[in-house]
Parts: sequence; structure tokens; C-alpha cells
Amino acid sequence: MAAYDLEEQEQISELKAWWARYGNLVTTLLLVAAVGVFAWQAWNWYQRNQAAQASGILTNVQKAASQRDAKQAAAYAGELIDKFPGTTQAALAVLLASRLQFDGGDVKTAKVQLNWAVDHAAEPELREIARLRLANLLLDEKATDEALKVLERDPIPAFVGRFAELRGDILATQGKTEEARKSYGVAITKADEAAKSAPGENDRAKATLQLKLESLGGVQ
Amino acid sequence: MFDTVRNNKKLAQIILGLVSLTFAFFGIEAYVKSPGAGGEVARVGKIRVSHGEFAEAQRNQQDRMREVLGKQFDPKMLDNPEARRAVLESVINQKLLALEASGARLGVSDEQLRDFISTAPALQENGKFSSAKYDALVRSRGMSREGFEQTLRQDLVQQQLVGAITESGFSARALAEHWVALQVEEREFAQVQIKPEQFVAQVKLAPDAVQKHYEANRAQFETPEQVKAEFVTLSLDSLMHQISVTDDEIKSWYDGHPDRYQQAEERRASHILIPLSKDASEADQKAARDKAGSLLKAARANPGDFAKLAKENSKDPGSAQNGGDLGFFARGAMVKPFEDAAFALKVNEISDVVQSDFGLHIIKLAEIKPAKSRPIEEVRGEIADELKRAAAGRKYAEAAEQFTNAVYEQADSLKPVIEKFKLTAQTTDWIGKAGQGAGKLSNPKVIAALFGDDAIKNKRNTEAIEIAPNTLVSARVLEHKPAALRSLEEVRADIEKQLTLVEAGKLAQQDAAARLEKLRKGESVDIAWSEARKITRNGMPGVSPEGVRSLFKVSPDKLPAYAMAESPIAGTFLYKVTAINKPAIKPDDPRLKSAQSQLAQASGGAELDAYLAALRTRYKVEVNLAALEARQQP
Repeated sequence: MAAYDLEEQEQISELKAWWARYGNLVTTLLLVAAVGVFAWQAWNWYQRNQAAQASGILTNVQKAASQRDAKQAAAYAGELIDKFPGTTQAALAVLLASRLQFDGGDVKTAKVQLNWAVDHAAEPELREIARLRLANLLLDEKATDEALKVLERDPIPAFVGRFAELRGDILATQGKTEEARKSYGVAITKADEAAKSAPGENDRAKATLQLKLESLGGVQ
Repeated sequence: MFDTVRNNKKLAQIILGLVSLTFAFFGIEAYVKSPGAGGEVARVGKIRVSHGEFAEAQRNQQDRMREVLGKQFDPKMLDNPEARRAVLESVINQKLLALEASGARLGVSDEQLRDFISTAPALQENGKFSSAKYDALVRSRGMSREGFEQTLRQDLVQQQLVGAITESGFSARALAEHWVALQVEEREFAQVQIKPEQFVAQVKLAPDAVQKHYEANRAQFETPEQVKAEFVTLSLDSLMHQISVTDDEIKSWYDGHPDRYQQAEERRASHILIPLSKDASEADQKAARDKAGSLLKAARANPGDFAKLAKENSKDPGSAQNGGDLGFFARGAMVKPFEDAAFALKVNEISDVVQSDFGLHIIKLAEIKPAKSRPIEEVRGEIADELKRAAAGRKYAEAAEQFTNAVYEQADSLKPVIEKFKLTAQTTDWIGKAGQGAGKLSNPKVIAALFGDDAIKNKRNTEAIEIAPNTLVSARVLEHKPAALRSLEEVRADIEKQLTLVEAGKLAQQDAAARLEKLRKGESVDIAWSEARKITRNGMPGVSPEGVRSLFKVSPDKLPAYAMAESPIAGTFLYKVTAINKPAIKPDDPRLKSAQSQLAQASGGAELDAYLAALRTRYKVEVNLAALEARQQP
């Protein structure tokens, strides 16, 4: 200590006093921050790990889908729902599996799967897609009122057109021409809006809608 | 001040440990990512799409189209704002999928990646994964294996998302039934065409109509800028003409390459084949040998009847009918044991039994064409050509440099190079700025140079431009026609005709509308309806798409029903629908099944579109169209 001159000694004692006063606080803050970061990283690691496992099972569902193996697909999708219900992977797997069940004639299982996705899929977009599929399924069972009910709640904006089209389809099969016409009208408006942001892409979809609308008659 | 640290060594160590641990977890990727070159054309969430990245996507799109269209591909197809926008949209969609995939932590394991690569059909050779093919593919993309696998991994992850949405789409059977019913519905109709020509006489154009149209559409009446050019081509062929070859050179080449001007010996033989496979049982082998032995005896006893013997006994389907005759063959054409035997025989001699992979042969030699050289007179031209071409190839590099310099240094004429290299000048007809009528000169660089100031104003030669391998061209403008506006008087008649027709078309339409009105009211109208025909929604020749639409728009409630449709060229059509036929569809109709799968695919696609649109609002996409277009001008 003797090597320091006066001024330095003064500075050191000032620092010492500061440290005596705030030292514990600084240490605690640092500690808290470090623990926080560590916990955050651990949480991330945990999520990544879960996601990786879920991705593995999703791949199995996709393999089963490419081999048109409805049973396997349902089994793996079930595993995903059980173990990792909150993941996107689970929702994707359920969508894939339900199509296979539908193709294989097991409408009951497909319905259960889609109902799960409608209620529990992680992303709102996937929930909307599940609703569209579920309505199709119900339409196939001639449960047209139920199908309309599934579509009743307003979807997120990007899906309004699709919902309106399917609603129009269902209403048309019910013979409710006037309402179907209105619904197709909404779908066409949405198709026009979409065409503005991506020109040329939606021409065919729009032509199909127009054909459906005009087939109802009474359109000038 | 460090007392605390010294007194709490453990604590300090823990803190330090934690700090270094966080580094380990954060990694440093975040700091080494380069921002990418060029301005930003779009922003997708936090991702910026640089112009460089966009340009690469555009190149990839060009490559893909070139692969699909081959020679019909024209880069101009993609050179417009709509095409650029479409490319940008696809880049944005990829970014959206990438963001969503990483947010949802979708992933592809190393094993899946390996699986995918090792089973990709394009990388198989003889039914196995070929490492060499893989490396070639990776190199062709200008990437390293790691880089390639990284990109592939991203693609696969996006594919996971896209696939799960599109492939899981389905459609109710009831919708398929409805759809097929629409497709097969038939309507019986008659039509009448109301032609604009009928109304031409009634049209009265306003006095200033032509003038106004001319003023408003000046661009239409411009004649484009054109040039006529003169050009010379320096190529290997043109150099060859100046090279002479002496007889001595030809002779020494001929002597030096005897093998090239020789015809090898050829022999003509007949044979009798007794098939015998290598792994035949001993008993079969013996039976075959015995048969061959007895045939050999018979052949030697009566050599003149070899052909007959072959026809009756040989099992070689190709030659047995011709008495075993195989025609002339040189060495190397036949299996080795056969060849050895055949080339050891004398004419008319019969061989012993010879065994090859095919079985046992008995061979009779018919004729020998001895080896002979082609005389030098016969090949003189060939050799001269070859020597000239080789010499031209050696001279080309030097000549090309002289040519390039000469057309530049003596830029006011092509004469110097014409004389120096004994070239012939060629002239073109009028050439347009886009290369129309350029013929041999249709090379974008040449055209651009010809329309440049240097060529037009300063009357200079263009620089030497390589239009094909070993082919240089230099051109100069002979005549230049600047873009000009045709005078009103020159085009008045055309405009008048055009405007009259437009007005007549409107009159035709009004007339049709008036008649339609009356028809719908049930009043009688004098119309010469065509014969009735049947049509489906798929249309038929002679009925425009608008016509089909209007025919199927009419309500089926009350027949006959009437409709009308305009066609820009043919005038207006009136239609009368007299009957509607909705054929019943059987439940096992194959069209139902295909309609259902088509609809399923369509709804999967539509749902993917909606999904992407939703991601677009979720992640916020900004497109900088100005930056996109501004960059196009070099």
C-alpha cells in the first residue's frame, strides 16, 4: 500500500467505501441476472429437446402418410398428442393423419382427430384449417347444419375467403340458394383482394368461384 | 476493494462460471452473420431480403425455366415487373415458412437428412448412392457439402410444413358430386351473330375523332429506330481458306499415320451353333458335344452341303435361315474363341468344334478380304482439310487479337480486316432494336453495340464480339432510320377504319341488347336462329368463354331463356337456351373419384395460400417495390 501516493490512496478508499455500501447489492444483481439467463437458456434447451423429439415422431407420421398407412399414422399422431400436445408438430401430424383416416373410411377417428386440432392446435392458422376439414367431414355425413356450425365463428382474416366458399358449398347442397349466393359473393371479394397483392395467382380459384356462383342461377 | 472477492472466492467462481456458460449457450452466430450485399427489397418480420438474395432467386428461377422450356426459353419472359414481383413473393413465402418453422422449432435430424440424400433418385448409380454424383451436384451449385446440406435442411423443414398442409387437404364426396354434375350438365342452344359490319354504314364519326385518337395514341404510330449493317466474321473456317497445304506435307502426314488410312482384313464365314451354357449339367454337355461331333463329321464328309446342314441344325436364329452365313466381319466383332478360329482358317476350310459363351460352333470360312490401305489420292482432300483446320486452330488466337485491334484502330471501315484476313463482308436488312431481322447477327451484345452512339453517330466499327466459340464478329452501321412519328395523313385511313369498327361494334351490341330485352319480354323478334346444338361448361369451338358463361348463367326455371355475350372480334352473340339436360351420375362413376382428389388437392393448395397470407400479417411483411424496380436499370 505504501507504493500508492496520496491521491491514489484516497481513490482506493473511496472505492472501498462504495463497495462496502453497494457491494452486496451489485453481487446480488449480477447473480440474479446470471441465474435468469441460465434459466432462460435451460428453458430453451428443454423446448428444443421436446421439439426435436416431436419432430422425430412427425417424420414417422409423414412416412406413414407416404405409404398410405392410416393405422401407423394414427398411432404416431396419438403419441404426439399424448406427449407433446402443445407443439406445432402435433397439429401437423393430426392434420396428416386425419386425411388418411378419411381416405381409409374411418370417419370416426378422423373426426376425433380434427376436433382435437380445432380445440388444441398450437397455431391459430392450423386451428382454422382443421375447422375447414372438419366441416367437410360433417358434410360428408350429411350433417350439414353441424358443418355450418363449425364454420360459424369468424375465422382469422386470411381465412375468411376459404370459409365463405365452403359455407357457400354447404348452403348450396342444402338448397339455400340465396344464402349460398351471398357467401360465394364474399369469397369472390376476398379472392379479388388477394389478387391485388399477388397478381395472377388466384385467377383459377376465382374462375371456380364464379362458376359455382353462376351455377346457382339468377346472376346477371 | 477486492476483499469481497477474496473472501467469497466460491461465489466469484460461480458467477464467472455462469457468465462463461451463457456464452457457450448463446454462441456467436448472431455476430458473424453478414448483412448481405445490395439494398433491401423486402422485410419479412426481422429478416431483410437483400437485392443480392432476390437476384439469386431470379437466377434460380431462370435456370428452372430454362430446364423446362429448353430452347424456347427467353430471358425476357422474366424481365417485367409482374415476373419480378412473383419471384419476390416466392422468396417472401420462403422466409415466412422459415420463420414459422424456426419459431415452432420444426427440425430435421441428421439421420433424416442422410436418408433423404442417400435415397434421392438423382444421386443413384446402379441402384446405389453415388458419392461422386453427390459431389458433382454440390459443386454445380457452387457450394460446399456443409453449405449444401444446410440449405437442404432448411428446404426439408419448410417442406414439412407445406406438405402437412397441402397433402392433408380433403373434400367431401358431396362436393365432388356437385362438381361433376356441373361439368356434365348439357344445355341445348341456338345462336345468332350480330356482326359490327352490318352497322358500319350507320356510323358517323365526329369530325375531330381521328385527330383526337392520333394525339392520344402517338406511341402507336411511331416507326421504331432501325439500322442496316455490314459485318465480317472471323472464324476457324474463314482462316482455313487462307492456309495452303503442300503435297509434301500431305504425303508425310499420310506416311506418318498408316493406321488411319487402312482397312483391316475382313472375313466372311458360316457357322452351325449348338447352344451350350457354361453351367450345363455333365449329361447335357456330353449330349451337346456328341451332337457337335457328329455334325462336324457330316460337314467334313460333304463340305458342299454345309449351308444345308446349318439350315437344318444350327440354333443361331440370326444366321440359320441363311445357311449359317454371318457375312463379312473384322477382328473385334465376334467373341474371342470364334474370332481366333475364323481368322486361322483358310478359305473353304471347316474348323474343329469351337466353344464360346454361346455354345459350340462349327465354322466354315467363305471369303477373305485382305487388309488394304486407302490410296493417298482418295484421302488427299481429307488430310488437307484436317491439316488446314489444325493450322487454323493454331493461328486463331493470334488472328483474333489482330482482328480485334484492327477493327478498333481503323474504326471507320471494315476494309482493312477484309483485306488482311481475306474475309467477305455481309450486309443485313433493316434490324430493330430488339434484334428483329438481325439473322446471323442476333446476339444481344452486337445489337446493343449497333444501336450505341459510337456505331450510329460516330460511324465506327463495333468492337470484335465473340458470338460463338472461336467466332468473332465486327459490324458497322450502313444506314440508320431514327424513330419517327408517322404523319396524321399517312395513318388517317387506318384510324378511320379502326374507329368506325369500334363504333359499329357498339351499335351491334346495342341492337343485340334491344333484341334481348324484347325476347325476354316474350315479344316476337325476327331472328334467324342457328340450328340447335348441345354444350357443356367445358365449351366448344365457335363459342367464346364469355358465351359459355352466359349460356350457363341463365336461370333454368323458365325455358326458352335468352342471353347475350360480346366478343371483341366477332361482334355480339345472342343465345337461346331451349333445353337443359342433367345426366345422372352413378355412385361408381370414375369421374367422381378423380374430381374428389382434384378438389382435395385444390383445397389443400387454397389452404396453404390462406396460411401464408395469415403468416404475412403475423410477421409483418414490407415490400420495397421502388428498390425492386430501380435496380433493374444497370
